[in-house]
Amino acid sequence: MNSTWIVAEKELLDLRRDRLFAILIGFLAVATLISVAVASADFRNQLDAYNLYVANLANSGSTVTAAAPQLFPLKLLRGGIEYLEILGALFAIVLGYGTIAKEKHRGTLHLFLSRPVGRFAFAGGKMLGLSIVWLGVVAALTAVSLIAVVTIGHAPIQGIDVARLLIAGGFAWLYLVFWTALAVGLTALSTRLSTGLIVALVIWLAFVLIIPQIGDTMDPDNQVPGGLFATLQIQKADELAVLAQFSAFDGIRNGLEVSSVTKHFERLTFAFLGIKDQYNQQPLSLVWAAMLPYAITLTVATLAAVVFAALATTRRTLQRKQS
Amino acid sequence: MTTSAISTAALTRSFGAHQALADLTLDVPQGEVFGLLGHNGAGKTTTVNLLTTLLEPTAGDAMINGHSVKTDAAGVRQSIGYLPENVQFYDNLTLLENLRFFARLSGLRRPDARIRDVLTFLDFTGHDNQRVGTFSKGMRQRVGIAQAVLHAPAVLFLDEPTSGLDPEGVRTLRKTIVRLNHEFGMTIFMNTHLLSEVTKTCTSIGILNHGRLVHHDSMSNTLAAFPADESLEDIYFQLDSAAA
Repeated sequence: MNSTWIVAEKELLDLRRDRLFAILIGFLAVATLISVAVASADFRNQLDAYNLYVANLANSGSTVTAAAPQLFPLKLLRGGIEYLEILGALFAIVLGYGTIAKEKHRGTLHLFLSRPVGRFAFAGGKMLGLSIVWLGVVAALTAVSLIAVVTIGHAPIQGIDVARLLIAGGFAWLYLVFWTALAVGLTALSTRLSTGLIVALVIWLAFVLIIPQIGDTMDPDNQVPGGLFATLQIQKADELAVLAQFSAFDGIRNGLEVSSVTKHFERLTFAFLGIKDQYNQQPLSLVWAAMLPYAITLTVATLAAVVFAALATTRRTLQRKQS
Repeated sequence: MTTSAISTAALTRSFGAHQALADLTLDVPQGEVFGLLGHNGAGKTTTVNLLTTLLEPTAGDAMINGHSVKTDAAGVRQSIGYLPENVQFYDNLTLLENLRFFARLSGLRRPDARIRDVLTFLDFTGHDNQRVGTFSKGMRQRVGIAQAVLHAPAVLFLDEPTSGLDPEGVRTLRKTIVRLNHEFGMTIFMNTHLLSEVTKTCTSIGILNHGRLVHHDSMSNTLAAFPADESLEDIYFQLDSAAA
């Protein structure tokens, strides 16, 4: 049997029985359920407010009508995606760190390195195992999301919604593998275990929390709940004309945002799930065309992180860092 | 004629300016139980790490069962079993799952029958499906021996094997080492600073002092070279202080 697969298989078995990992994933699933419940309650409030408004209009004898709020099922997943962006990335770092730190701390890495296995067996096995674990977790979270939308959100799901959810799941998998691989690489390269974790957490803090937050804060449309331009009842054409006057500023803001892999993940999932109004109810081909650069960047970033993890966990590197 | 299971030639390892092992030249014939003695920091673990290919030598070379640690590390790894000090294994995996993992890494395709033979040999049956995380130190040490001998290596390296064991555990381990040597002809290279352990198990000894081999001889010759009323402990301190 190929030694890469032997390592991957052991990793899967080990993590399946890891209580901490089960708690973290359980927490993500519960957070997804709660976010759908909150979003659906919020929609019902909007609907109640609308019904009250229509009733008041009718009572006052007005013939004016207003558009009813529309329930877009996948929009209920916004909170879940945001949890995955922040907590998912954090858990992925914990998983990546733990898988290397335990091998070093328990002394099993020495046993492994004394075995007649190839230079990439450890690296390949670890990354293969962890990727399969995340595939399972994302599949489970996708199923939880679907069930939550149908049962808690009482929203009708169509085939195209499932397809959109599966595409978003694919990006979630890439995103989680990225953070795990980064943590694996950094922990393997650190002579002191805590250093790898600290560096990974600093990167997480900068690219998951700080940079996207700066980008959001710099966006004029985010300054007022519901959007600045919408509140001022400025039409889209006028909004674009106004923003054109600030193209340099917006370029800097956008540049900051896209330097974060988290923002790529967010833009992709928000577009495919229709959370971003611009892409809601749009054909998939159109969303793909608009999102292709982000999809490519996220894929390349994940591949780069996996290559980094693989190079950091070759036999030679591990031996050098152990000595 | 006895052939060497372990043979080193001017084996040297430095960490920056610090020379952890200097010009180690040593021959351990097949079938020996060799004890490497020395105080903490003398270079014992560095020596084992070099011989098990976990470290690369700065200079010199070593042959293990005919394979060079510099040019044929894969061959060395196929010939050796290794038990590091205080190894803990995978707590979430059962005894059988742990041993299967290491057996497969060593190239055994269907290892279960061999695992049962080894566990029976070690008198360690009835725990197959128990998670290793629940094991005592002594039981873990037996897991350690089991994983090290599953693939019937020609040479077994033990780094401070009795570290942290209670007297009963020490005695059991000592018997196991002697049986592995007698029944399977396994060459055993053992690092230790427990002199009593060496007297009872080793056929030859070496003493390291600040990275240099200051003594290497058979146990009987070593004991014969000193007055009969001197213990190995006295001899060790005489040789060690003479070298210093």
